[in-house]
Amino acid sequence: MLAFIGRRILIAIPTIILISIFVFTLQHLLPGDPILVLAGEERDPEVLEFLREKYRLNDPIPIQYLAWVGNALQGDLGISFRTNQPVLELIGEKLPVTLQLATMALIIAMVIGIPAGVLSAYKKGTWIDWVANVVALSGLSVPNFWLGIMMILLVSVKLGWLPASGYQPFAEDPLQSIKTMLMPAFVLGTAIAATLMRHTRSAMLSVLKSDYIRTARAKGLAEHVVLIKHALRNALVPIVTVTTLIFGELLAGAVLTEQIFTIPGFGKLVVDAVFNRDYAVVQGIVLCTGVAFIFMNLLADVAYRVLNPRMGDK
Amino acid sequence: MATSSSPLLDVQGLSIRLGKLDQNIVDDVSFTLEAGQTLCLVGESGCGKSLTALALMGLLQSPPLAIAGGTARFGGADLLSMAKEPLRDIRGGRMAMIFQEPMTSLNPGLRIGEQIAESVRRHKGANRAEGRARALEMLRRVRIPAPERRLDEFPHQLSGGMRQRAMIAIALANDPELLIADEPTTALDVTIQAQILELMRELQAETGAAMIMITHDLGVVAEMADQVAVMYGGRIVEAGTVDRIFTDPQHPYTIGLMSSMPSLGDRRDRLVTVPGVVPQPGSMPPGCRFASRCPFHSPLCETVPPLRTCGEGHKVACVHAPLEQLNPVDLQETGT
Repeated sequence: MLAFIGRRILIAIPTIILISIFVFTLQHLLPGDPILVLAGEERDPEVLEFLREKYRLNDPIPIQYLAWVGNALQGDLGISFRTNQPVLELIGEKLPVTLQLATMALIIAMVIGIPAGVLSAYKKGTWIDWVANVVALSGLSVPNFWLGIMMILLVSVKLGWLPASGYQPFAEDPLQSIKTMLMPAFVLGTAIAATLMRHTRSAMLSVLKSDYIRTARAKGLAEHVVLIKHALRNALVPIVTVTTLIFGELLAGAVLTEQIFTIPGFGKLVVDAVFNRDYAVVQGIVLCTGVAFIFMNLLADVAYRVLNPRMGDK
Repeated sequence: MATSSSPLLDVQGLSIRLGKLDQNIVDDVSFTLEAGQTLCLVGESGCGKSLTALALMGLLQSPPLAIAGGTARFGGADLLSMAKEPLRDIRGGRMAMIFQEPMTSLNPGLRIGEQIAESVRRHKGANRAEGRARALEMLRRVRIPAPERRLDEFPHQLSGGMRQRAMIAIALANDPELLIADEPTTALDVTIQAQILELMRELQAETGAAMIMITHDLGVVAEMADQVAVMYGGRIVEAGTVDRIFTDPQHPYTIGLMSSMPSLGDRRDRLVTVPGVVPQPGSMPPGCRFASRCPFHSPLCETVPPLRTCGEGHKVACVHAPLEQLNPVDLQETGT
């Protein structure tokens, strides 16, 4: 298994290099000049030239790229044009916030989605299956921003159970942190729960038809043992795939939800950086997201091999 | 051995319905099985032999399949009307089943040892160590090489023959009184088939289990059976001791089956077949279901022929039997 993980990490290296090249070149294809943004009202050509020189924007792009990679390898992703903060520090500030949000959303989604999928596959064609599907479809169809606003109205304004917005770092006050994050995580989680439920249901339906499920029943095992130990275990592979992909998306894709609940997360950082042509920050973020995706895929590959021993063989 | 007055398994009038079809897909099947004996259910695919077995195990896929009537007394209780929970206590314990496809009948994600042990824990109240010990013992008894190592292997690491041995180990782990084997050798290589049959016979002799063997292979029947029941179109058309069925078959369908079995030294240009095809479920002839393919059929065949005694330990469901009294139409003439 360790050799396998090592091999996978080696394979990931060219992928990361490719991502970094893409990020770097795409950035330069974008219209707009970061120096103009940086200089603000100042239009003195000498100042602009000085700034260009300072940020090495006059060098050929390959040289710029190599300089950036060299620094990145030393843990220096550059400095934000806008705030003059090191990019790594910015990411280090925002990433944990979104990481917490994504993790909570995913936990909520799994706790709701997987049992619902198992149940609706097991009770296929009954009213339970029907209700689960209708709820799942609604979960998918209701836009996050609408659900977010409605929940703020109900839970915070009317009932006053949870704070409507804000952010409390987990390390300072875990309980308060979870409380403030609960509603946004729920809003994000419901849509994912619906996706997970649909995938779980279809995976379970095909597994429940297999011969080994009949064998398990022929042993006289209780239905819940048949369902969970024999069926769900074999149905988990597609569920793991979907879950890891969703987690990767959540890191950069929770922008709307973060905005509604005014959470100072990664998503907001991305949007601000793109609008302000904050090259260094955008590059750093995309690189981080890319690495996160690769890491999630690695996790998924490891999970596959645990779940399906056949993949262990050459 | 149980006395003939109380057989181990007594099936009476078992009928199975498929969806909304008005003809039963298994119709009025009755047979008894004494402890330690082997009954072979024989017939073409789709004749209802597997469904009969699954119904006894309570494993019919319902819907669309449903039991339409009958009883199956097994040690005093009726398997067909039993509640789910007590049936689960029997299933895998006193009554076990081996399936046709060893490649797909084992769970790909669980180790062989655990697949045996979980059944032992379920029925014998064994703890983990005892279950594992029993699993190892069973792997030895089905003569899987290097059983200690196999215990922790996954099904894909075993050959087809070994997987079927593992299936047998699972089925026999709790010393069942009744073993149902649904074409256990059909999916295996011919050389392996003989080994598996031999193993099953030995283990049956050791444990004294009764066996229902489902097969379409008359070679298997000759090898294994004490009793034979020939099924056609969901009904038993002929039943008796293996000697009677092989030496003096009475039903035209049985006779057709027998003569369609090729033998060495008997090279013919064409293999003998039973003419025609099995009608679709739901569109069987109203009386004798074999009538549409039978060279002897007459207006008498339009009522359902009862399964009547036609000799010592021999029953047949054909109004024309014994056929010798008829002006016989040669089966082969009409058949080929």
